[in-house]
Amino acid sequence: MTRTPYWAAFTDGIRRTMAAPAELAVRIGFFAVILVVFSSLWRAATQANGGVIQGYGYRELLWYVIAAEGCVIATKPRLIEEIGDDIGNGDIAIDMLRPVSVVSFRMAAEMGEAVVRLVCALSLGAVFGLLSVSAPPSLEGLLAALPAALLAVGCNLTMQYSFAAAAFWVEDAKSTWFLYQKLIFLLGGMLLPLELLPESLAGIARLLPFWTTAYVPARLLSGHAEWQLLIVQLGWLIVLVAAALAAFRAGEKRLVVTGG
Amino acid sequence: MAAIEVTNLVKRFATKGRGRRSLVEAVSGITFSVEDGERLAYIGPNGAGKSTSIKMLTGILHPTEGHATVLGYIPWSERRKLVRHIGTLFGQRSQLWAQLTARQTFRLLARIYRLDDRDAARRIEELGELLEATTLFDVPVKSLSLGQRMRCELTASQLHSPRVLFLDEPTIGLGLVAKQRFREMIVRLNEERNMTVFLTSHDVSDIEYVARRVIVINHGRIIYDDDVSSMRRSLLRTKLLEVRFEEAPRALSLDSVEVLKHSGLGYKLVVHTSQRSIRSVLDELLDDYSVADISVLDPPLEEIITEIYEAPQR
Repeated sequence: MTRTPYWAAFTDGIRRTMAAPAELAVRIGFFAVILVVFSSLWRAATQANGGVIQGYGYRELLWYVIAAEGCVIATKPRLIEEIGDDIGNGDIAIDMLRPVSVVSFRMAAEMGEAVVRLVCALSLGAVFGLLSVSAPPSLEGLLAALPAALLAVGCNLTMQYSFAAAAFWVEDAKSTWFLYQKLIFLLGGMLLPLELLPESLAGIARLLPFWTTAYVPARLLSGHAEWQLLIVQLGWLIVLVAAALAAFRAGEKRLVVTGG
Repeated sequence: MAAIEVTNLVKRFATKGRGRRSLVEAVSGITFSVEDGERLAYIGPNGAGKSTSIKMLTGILHPTEGHATVLGYIPWSERRKLVRHIGTLFGQRSQLWAQLTARQTFRLLARIYRLDDRDAARRIEELGELLEATTLFDVPVKSLSLGQRMRCELTASQLHSPRVLFLDEPTIGLGLVAKQRFREMIVRLNEERNMTVFLTSHDVSDIEYVARRVIVINHGRIIYDDDVSSMRRSLLRTKLLEVRFEEAPRALSLDSVEVLKHSGLGYKLVVHTSQRSIRSVLDELLDDYSVADISVLDPPLEEIITEIYEAPQR
């Protein structure tokens, strides 16, 4: 493969994450705790509902949680705040002095870091799932979930960059990370499958991009081989990349950096 | 040929105060040019508009009005083309990745500038030798001292052989030895590669050692533009002496020297160097008084700038 600056940033992101095993271990350890808690919750919930909730049995729900939480935990939880800080304090100027697209270069590096976390999280999740409830319900669903997990991380990153770009216009935009997380929890399907939401809310969630970050890979891994969801994800990824690029292009013209 | 041409460049920032938005003019219609291979000091007090000017010339900020070209490129609209040919070094912002070693950062920068692997490795070694920094390259950046880090920053800024180097307060926070070493390296790079140097600094020694020409900016306007030797002759007409005596002098009376202040055995003196050489003052002090310690200082840059600012129209 050609070693473009973006590929270099991606591989460097992988290297950087692997060079900090303690940080990685903490995050994956946290993921393990979430799996234990959610598996207990869903076991109790399904037992109380005759074994199935909105078409999901305990086995399906556990694989759903593994994919949904694994994909979200792969990205930095407060990335929006980090980017907002760099815009606010002018550190982004250093990136602007390189002959690359600022947002593409940073996203490539973030993607490299996220891929390592994703592989670790899903590997741990796979062991947990196999020991708890046996293999994922559908091989086809599993095959579709793998590219969907990568696309989910890509959508999450690009969406966070689009949100963070607000810092070019609004002083305290970095605080939107809190709102963003809640949207991913609820409308992204991270907390529970969209089928379990009130119908109107689920309908709204399907019109927004958040569900690409958790629900889509989770739905696929829980045995629903709906390949069209990959197309939806890909479509949103294109839109979100275009939005992030446009927002940064416009924002860079408005950048205010005073002092040294 | 001019490396940098600036015409009536203006930058206004919107600020908010007491709920009202107002415009502050950081740069007010500056015009100048810098020749290829020139070493220019671009100085002024805090808030004068120096950093804003540099940021417009490197394409980070868009001007409100006016025009500029650097190496023929309009910085703010052709930034990605321009930055292939310029180097930048900001004393207060690092371009190195703290978690990596300097060499790993250089390799990543080499990819960013699309340098061939072999050329990049050769260039890193060359710069390491030139800047006496090779032994620092394999240490994690976060473990380097400020002086060591600045040598690595300078290496990073030179990887792609820039034709213009912008330096914004590059020696801030460095010790005396590290500062002098850094200045020597900048001059060496200029002389060996004919690289244009555009320097802002509050340190008079940076300006005296590195620059041949000086532009003074205040309140966003250029108020002085001449070569450094002329400035030194016409404006650096005083030196400060900090003297500590072993015993209190009976009456300190020296021609062309004023006592600025004293406390106990310590005296701060102003020597009017246009009337008397610093050497003869030092000789007299050492011969006639029991001196425990003595240091010679330049007056603060702010003072010189004030003098320029208050001087009649040149």
